[in-house]
Amino acid sequence: MVTGKVTVENRNGIHLRLSGELVKVASRFKSVVMIGRESELVNAKSMLGVAGLGAEFGAELLLSADGADEKEAFDAMVDLFRNKFFVEE
Amino acid sequence: MDRNFEEEIVLSGIPAAPGITFGEAFVVYADEMPISSEPIDPSKVKGEIERFEAALNRTREELADLHRALAAEMGEEHAKILDSHIMMLGDELMKEETLETVRNENVNAAYAFSRIIDRTLKAFDKMEDQYLRERSEDIRDVRKRVIRNYFGQKSEGLADIKRKAIIVAHNLTPSDTVGFKKKFVLGFVSDTGGSTSHAAIIARSLGIPAVVGLGDFSSRVRPFDRLIVDGLSGQVILHPKPETEELYRKARDRFHEMEKELLKIKDYPAVTLDGRTIELSGNIETADEVQEVIDHGARGIGLFRTEYFFITRGTLPGEEEQYRYYQNVIRRMAPDPVLFRTLDVGGDKLAAWVEDNVEANPFMGWRGIRFTLSRKDILRTQLRAMYRAAAHGRARIMFPMVSIVDEVRQALAICAEVREDLKRERYQFGEKVEIGIMIETPSAVAMADTLAREVDFFSIGSNDLIQYALAVDRGNSRISYLYNPLHPAILRLIDDTVRAAHKNNIWVGICGEMVADARVRGALLLIGLGLDEFSANAYLIPEIKKIIRSITYDETRALVKKALKKSTASEVAALLNAFIEDKRPELMEFIPRGPV
Repeated sequence: MVTGKVTVENRNGIHLRLSGELVKVASRFKSVVMIGRESELVNAKSMLGVAGLGAEFGAELLLSADGADEKEAFDAMVDLFRNKFFVEE
Repeated sequence: MDRNFEEEIVLSGIPAAPGITFGEAFVVYADEMPISSEPIDPSKVKGEIERFEAALNRTREELADLHRALAAEMGEEHAKILDSHIMMLGDELMKEETLETVRNENVNAAYAFSRIIDRTLKAFDKMEDQYLRERSEDIRDVRKRVIRNYFGQKSEGLADIKRKAIIVAHNLTPSDTVGFKKKFVLGFVSDTGGSTSHAAIIARSLGIPAVVGLGDFSSRVRPFDRLIVDGLSGQVILHPKPETEELYRKARDRFHEMEKELLKIKDYPAVTLDGRTIELSGNIETADEVQEVIDHGARGIGLFRTEYFFITRGTLPGEEEQYRYYQNVIRRMAPDPVLFRTLDVGGDKLAAWVEDNVEANPFMGWRGIRFTLSRKDILRTQLRAMYRAAAHGRARIMFPMVSIVDEVRQALAICAEVREDLKRERYQFGEKVEIGIMIETPSAVAMADTLAREVDFFSIGSNDLIQYALAVDRGNSRISYLYNPLHPAILRLIDDTVRAAHKNNIWVGICGEMVADARVRGALLLIGLGLDEFSANAYLIPEIKKIIRSITYDETRALVKKALKKSTASEVAALLNAFIEDKRPELMEFIPRGPV
């Protein structure tokens, strides 16, 4: 299992559309990908779960990936956050 | 109680799409189904699971249809709203958890599903960020659809409509207004919304009358109640008396005659009898409205409210995206000009992504050019996109809500930098883009002679100018009587603005609702005041053109000279009424009015 932290750099936080992007990326991997605040991690392949996080601008989230392609999954997620979900704001 | 004997009720709302229509009410209810939490027989679990899966599939098909319909009818931009809904439906974990709950607790699937969604909604309620919190509406929407399909009910929305009727709703959302059979819809009436709400735009594009902003009307109307909707005056009559029906029938016939007459002159120039040409253009909010403007005979876009594109997205559009959007409009209008107004957020149109957006007094707050100058990143991106789009036709750029000269100088400096950058980066861009400002604050009028030396044109935003000059909020019913475009104070401000512009050899237009509000009287004054350009909602353009083609510039000038000396708005109105009745009685015929 790989774990680490990511920070929301998008000004409007992870709203619905970005939740969709996050789910799409996580779903590309076989590993179980979990994300959230310390007390409440949700499955990153669940649109409802991710949207329900209400992760606002600046929020620090825990990220974990567990499975055959955990390294790739983790890196892809970190990449997504670092690049502000590849959308211009 | 026999409906024929119910009392006639007249209500006033905001006229959102012109025309008069008669019919029975079709009330769109927003209620949700009651769901039982009673345990089910274990033998029924398998059936429940199948039923739930079928409901998900049916909802998925429904949303896909809706997406197609919305894209075809309103453009791709409008359809994007549904992408997230479709993704939520595809949430495998949500589905698994629902089915597990059904299996383990022997409850029906609608209940299990609802409970899971409720948990998510509770998480939303706790969110501190207002924008994120309000997205729970989308989740509620998806839940409603799934539950409805679980119960095997077809859409309870407009898609249901199978008889000719007037649609009455609390609020009409884009997903309500697609998928319905247009031929059955006689008109729209809604409790909420303004003249630029979704329902209003759709109604205008379908050519059916609409009145919005009627308060609690939808809760007072029952299905099949008789209604008259007057989209010209904004009145809705519930249980009309036979005499009232007769009056409105005449008014409707007059309106239809007039419409036919007006479309005959669609392709003629907007020129007065003594040869003064006035540039007549249309106001738009989205690229989807361009065709409507062209169809009504406008020669250009005189106000492109770009904020709509921003507000509907939830994130800031990037340069490329804006560029593609703007150049599409420019290409379609070429060689006629397109006047872009830079982002005008704040006040009544707060964008969700503006942080800390709660202001005690938004109309005097952080809006228009004040906002964009403090968020230069946003302004630069938008200007770059506009300048690049300008390479494909004719563009003009204007800044809203200017109150001091410094703002204009700063904005012009940024425009110059943007042009320099684009040149250095070897982009194609419009080199000869006229830059102007909106005149909508009394201070801008006071400084008009100075401002006129800085820019290429003025465009008067009459709604805000009236509001700021008379210190009146037109939405406040106790004082809204003060909001009168015929007030001599307003005429003097416009007169000063035009004089200052012409003295400095720049042109001056008007893009507010003054013509919509005051109809022929407003138009006569504006012609006489010497405005060079009028921009209005598409449906008003034929009417304005007819008025321009019916009078001489000289006589309107004489009229304005007298009007400027009057003391009150009613004196000005009386002067104009007398003129129309004596000199141009035929214009009375062409002016759509209710039967009042």
